[in-house]
Amino acid sequence: MVKKTIEEINERIRRGDAVVVTAEEMVEIVKSKGAVAAAKEVDVVTTGTFGAMCSSGAWLNFGHADPPIKMQRVWLNDVEAYTGVAAVDAYIGAAQLSETRGFDYGGGHVIEDLVRGEEIHVRALAYGTDCYPRRELETTITIHDLNQAVLLNPRNAHQRYVAATNSRKETIYTYMGTLLPEFRNVTFAGTGELSPLNKDPTYRTIGTGTRIFIGGAQGYVVWEGTQHDPKRELGTLMTVGDLKEMSPRYLRGANIHRYGTSLFVGIGIPIPILDEDLARTAGRSNEEIKIDLLDYGVPRRDRPVLKQLTYAELWEGKIELNGREVPVSPLSSLKVAREIAEKLKELIERGEFSLTAPVRQLPVDMEFRPMKQPTRIITAGAVMTREVVVGRPEDPITKAARIFAEKNFDHLPIVDDENRVIGIVTSWDIAVSVGKGKQKLSEIMTRQVITAREDEPIDAVARKLDKFGISGVPVVDARGRLRGIVTSDDISKLIGGGRK
Amino acid sequence: MTRRILLRYSAEKAAEPVLASVIKETGVLVNILYADMDTKGGEILISVKDSDAERIFSALSKRGIEFQEIKDAIRVDWDSCVHCGACVSLCPTKALYLKEDASLGLDEQKCVLCEICVPACPVRALKIPRL
Repeated sequence: MVKKTIEEINERIRRGDAVVVTAEEMVEIVKSKGAVAAAKEVDVVTTGTFGAMCSSGAWLNFGHADPPIKMQRVWLNDVEAYTGVAAVDAYIGAAQLSETRGFDYGGGHVIEDLVRGEEIHVRALAYGTDCYPRRELETTITIHDLNQAVLLNPRNAHQRYVAATNSRKETIYTYMGTLLPEFRNVTFAGTGELSPLNKDPTYRTIGTGTRIFIGGAQGYVVWEGTQHDPKRELGTLMTVGDLKEMSPRYLRGANIHRYGTSLFVGIGIPIPILDEDLARTAGRSNEEIKIDLLDYGVPRRDRPVLKQLTYAELWEGKIELNGREVPVSPLSSLKVAREIAEKLKELIERGEFSLTAPVRQLPVDMEFRPMKQPTRIITAGAVMTREVVVGRPEDPITKAARIFAEKNFDHLPIVDDENRVIGIVTSWDIAVSVGKGKQKLSEIMTRQVITAREDEPIDAVARKLDKFGISGVPVVDARGRLRGIVTSDDISKLIGGGRK
Repeated sequence: MTRRILLRYSAEKAAEPVLASVIKETGVLVNILYADMDTKGGEILISVKDSDAERIFSALSKRGIEFQEIKDAIRVDWDSCVHCGACVSLCPTKALYLKEDASLGLDEQKCVLCEICVPACPVRALKIPRL
């Protein structure tokens, strides 16, 4: 039985003879020599991750102005920071968007610009008090002008994450990146066998007070992260570090196309190999770390799991789905994660980074629960009109015109023999076709039909109408067969009449 | 080696079967990489074998089609790129790919300048070259 203490390992680090390997090297060592030999041989395993972590931000203290101001609202390069605390403290969140540049610039970019030493335009408003009379302020600062600039991230370093794909007929833009229609690509996040929490999945050595590499500086684990979900191996960390010591190499503002802004955060955590159990978990390989492939085309909290994959399969760059080869994009940078694990290894070898024992363990038995909601979700199935008049592609246009005139509606789904929706004709299409000498509905129908599912929340349907500038969608089942139709009128009635 | 040629069509040329007649006359196998056409004209990006390029050029000139050889590809700002790979599964021709060492690679010959990768890059490291 191998037994080591953190003090013994730190002593070796001081003497310069600690054996430090990266998590990827440890996988090979455990594979070839087994966990017992690995525990004897290795003292520390270094990990790394570098991905967009939206739940990140920084506390800033500006110092007092003269005359003084109690900031009620403050903007940094037009990105609003939270000032609901004392007079000149503010928290800039990575996902907050610029009020002038929208998706192009956000809190993550402000943080990167601060780290780069760039000038930041500051604007503040206040209501004025006897002790803080000033009501407006405008100035320019750099990170050096701030008393404190502390990166404090509520949720970082997800143990593992999910893979995403899209069943819909249109491209969707998500926090998992751009997802092409009909399962044409897959994205995934996390660095698998390099990811810190995967290497110590019961958090024996990672807890409050653990010293870590963060953004290029030395920081600490504060607490478990928000949404910490240890029972499902989805642990998270709340982290802290001095922004003034960080580097833009390991802290980068990010734009997630048509989703928002974020911050790439580089984190590396050393795992002390105290015994064989830790050697075994630190040696877990990508083949052993599972990840669910979810359909982000379903706009619900509980998205269907299409397949269970491993990080090893995903790093191959393509997976098999429904008999087709589908290209895969990682969203976390394996290259920079490796660089972090290497850098942390060097720091420890040079005696510039020593290990700390946690002063409080992270919980291993809590769960991440859904939001308590007062209202029932209204679905497309609940509001749709079930008796839908349909057309066939070979029907004459005059028939559709007659239906529209008689029945007072504007959408005519075109179906095939099995009631599958293959097109749609609106009253507008009829108007356009008049005078063009068109005869059959198949000549004028729109073939790329935007549809909804019965269990789709009405909010998601409303978003589709808005996004595509349309006024109605056929509701279909899993095989594309027509079940009903929802129009913007149906949705207006819901709002007008109040939700039942 | 293939060469990429961008054809520009005026409104009146768009109404003629130009590319079909070029193919018929030259017998060259033309690969259409991208096309954007409407009644006001438009453009088609084709690729042909190196040895066929001159014959295609003269057939196009004869028909009064404006064209330009594309030697450029998407530009990667390597100082900015974080090698996350967000672009690779979107690239229709695998011009963007991850190398063995997990860094991003760009095969300029394969790029069809569809530009889908440009906004998808989270650190704006992919840029459109000036044509």
